Amino acid sequence: MTAETIPTPVAAPNTGPPHPLAEFWLYFRANAGAVVGLFVIVGLVVVALLADVISPHSPIITNNTVFLKPPFWQAGGTLAYPLGTDAIGRDILSRLIHGARLSLLIGIAVVVLAVFAGTVLGLVAGFFRGMIEIVIMRLMDITLTLPSLLLAIVIVAILGPGLMNAMLAVSVVLLPHYVRIARAAVISEVAKDYVTAARVIGAGRMRLMFKEVLPNCVAPLIVQATLGISTAILDAAALGFLGLGAQPPTPEWGTMLADAREFVVRAWWVVTLPGVAILVTVLAFNLFGDGLRDALDPKLKR
Amino acid sequence: MSRSFLLATICASALVAASAASAKTLVFCSEGSPENFYPGVNTTGTSFDGNEPIYNRIVEFERGGTKVVPGLAEKWSISEDGTVYTFNLRRGVKWHNTRAFKPTRDFNADDIMFMIERQWKDSHPYFRVTSANHSYFSDMGFPKLLKSVEKVDDYTVRITINRPEAPFLANLAMPFAAVQSKEYADAMLKAGTPEKIDQDPIGTGPFSLVQYQKDAVIRYKAWPQYWGGKAKIDDLVYSITPDNSVRWAKLQRGECHVMPYPNPADLEAIAKDPNVTILEQPGLNIGYLAFQTQKKPFDDVRVRKAMSMAINKKAIIDAVYLTTGVAAKNPIPPSMWSYNDKVKDDPYDPQAAKKLLAEAGFPNGMETDLWAMPVQRPYNPNARRIAELMQADLAKIGVKAEIKSYEWGEYRKRVQEGQHQMAMLGWTGDNGDPDNFLYTLLGCASAQSNSGSNIAKFCYKPYEDIVLKAKTISDQAERTKLYEQAQVIFKEQAPWFTIAHAVQLKPVRKSVVDFKLSPFGRHNFYGVDIKE
Repeated sequence: MTAETIPTPVAAPNTGPPHPLAEFWLYFRANAGAVVGLFVIVGLVVVALLADVISPHSPIITNNTVFLKPPFWQAGGTLAYPLGTDAIGRDILSRLIHGARLSLLIGIAVVVLAVFAGTVLGLVAGFFRGMIEIVIMRLMDITLTLPSLLLAIVIVAILGPGLMNAMLAVSVVLLPHYVRIARAAVISEVAKDYVTAARVIGAGRMRLMFKEVLPNCVAPLIVQATLGISTAILDAAALGFLGLGAQPPTPEWGTMLADAREFVVRAWWVVTLPGVAILVTVLAFNLFGDGLRDALDPKLKR
Repeated sequence: MSRSFLLATICASALVAASAASAKTLVFCSEGSPENFYPGVNTTGTSFDGNEPIYNRIVEFERGGTKVVPGLAEKWSISEDGTVYTFNLRRGVKWHNTRAFKPTRDFNADDIMFMIERQWKDSHPYFRVTSANHSYFSDMGFPKLLKSVEKVDDYTVRITINRPEAPFLANLAMPFAAVQSKEYADAMLKAGTPEKIDQDPIGTGPFSLVQYQKDAVIRYKAWPQYWGGKAKIDDLVYSITPDNSVRWAKLQRGECHVMPYPNPADLEAIAKDPNVTILEQPGLNIGYLAFQTQKKPFDDVRVRKAMSMAINKKAIIDAVYLTTGVAAKNPIPPSMWSYNDKVKDDPYDPQAAKKLLAEAGFPNGMETDLWAMPVQRPYNPNARRIAELMQADLAKIGVKAEIKSYEWGEYRKRVQEGQHQMAMLGWTGDNGDPDNFLYTLLGCASAQSNSGSNIAKFCYKPYEDIVLKAKTISDQAERTKLYEQAQVIFKEQAPWFTIAHAVQLKPVRKSVVDFKLSPFGRHNFYGVDIKE
């Protein structure tokens, strides 16, 4: 890993400053964990997109002849159900594949929602200061004081269980992080000369906010968003586990885990595999997010 | 028989006192916390179990059977026309003497009067204490059935009813008719804390309550002056353990002696354990899926039939009940008298179901909801899993069912109000009479009530007439004929999809002596012993 980084600085000087993306990749690939994370994520995205094509069975149709079949390498397992079947005869592999689609969708949708709302609130708070800022920020502080899962449970309890409501609840829980990051970035950017220059030229408030300041605040938001995806997947799985998230027969990993608890001793694959899927996905997003932070943080640049 | 039993217990307890100085403790890993210690307002087996050691009733069921034997009444006589019951009460029955209350008198007729009036007369000062909802008392039609209850003298009570009622005596042996102390009630009323009699209870039963910690533990102590003789064990502990796999782990390690409701998936491992035996008995129960027959589209019998034919019952038994259930076709279990074996179950036939549904006006399928209880019940080991199987089966005939589930108390309340379209529930019989199933669960009185057990809201004149008539006849052969007919009508009308009768399985450690399964699913530890 370190050996790879040595030749690159030699190549860089003769073409002048590298393209920002190339520079990003240079720093990013120095972090092996992040690269692995990226590959896993790309793999997951491909699997999710092609779920209908590659899954051997339907994730919701039950087969009454194959309850709790073990994976193929164990005695009694068949290749028709490579990772075995669950208690009511559904193929675990197909459910995991379709679950990947759901989990990614949950992660991305939740984060997009939270980032969008959070950035707007943060920008407003950072620009307008005074009363508006106090109201927004104190509200966010209150949200932060509540344990995140508990808050999500309360929201779902009010809205009723279901995948959409669970996603909404998790984005509310994630919201304060983005508001705070956006506001902090905005406050430090607003004091800079280019903003003053733009203002002197006569740029309107909207232009200042969205065209001048926002693009310069994006880096920390992107990092937080990547890390946020893993939190979102985990929280949604937790809600599913508690029976408040995705409703049956949706093949959501957390729900699968909850339904299989009683088989811990008797049929390990029903419990272990969804857990492993959650673990791998969350780990991949965390590693990727860490690498992204290192690559985008100017303070860490050599 | 009861005398020899008495003698045996006295001898046994004398022997125990002579030999073993150490206290014998039996631990029962129960599945949940009782709501309170007044069975008159309870409906769940969990609460009845918590009350079982404390109280007695006028008459009792024999241990491990459905026969009615003397309890607080030593003997009774019934008038020719079957409407006047005279009970001669037992003398010298002592109330528990606990920290909560020191009784000054023995049990007498006043306590019986208190038990009935508390549930009967809404002007009674105790009617609304703890809860005004005396579910069992009203579901069984007691308010209309009772004509008068008189205290003839201190040890004689006369109950007059409006019409002959065949299961009346067995009804009085049910948990809701537990007798509480009137003296204690009066004292607490005076002190301004009437609800205390339901929280720090005293009774006449074989064990007195020592301590109750919600969701953790209930401790009882054998009552030395129990009228039937002191129990063979000294301490009885209910260790409250909601998770069935944890219960099994505790039993395996000897932390408890008896556990109810094992996880079907664990049974194989339990059977292999050398220290544990599994007691087995066909359960007096039924698990079913009820259709809300007063709401569209389930008011149409064709839709109900179509659903019944679309669901694969065998798959449900194989996947969820495993070896612990038998497919059900009638609303009463096969071990009950008057079970009609000639009734033919609806075949599993998705094609015919689809056709029937089209005839009923739904050629392209429909959308509905499917309620599943969130907890394990004696008659249904995993309702949510069954719901998923049903959902998949119904999808095949174009019916989109949304699975809904609420917290258990909320769930019961909502289905009793009839908010569902299809909902799973079940019933464990509590007096061994078919009336307890066929009328309580499917009669009009319960359908019209918002807290009734008839969650199909099934009220069908020809059926109602038969079960009402059967109530007033005392000749069992004649009643059998009527009930057999009722089961035929039930199948034609299909207010339920009958799922299964669960086999009652109770893993018990081998050191436990003489624990008997109750056909009603109750747990009774009087007469049980532990060998070292």
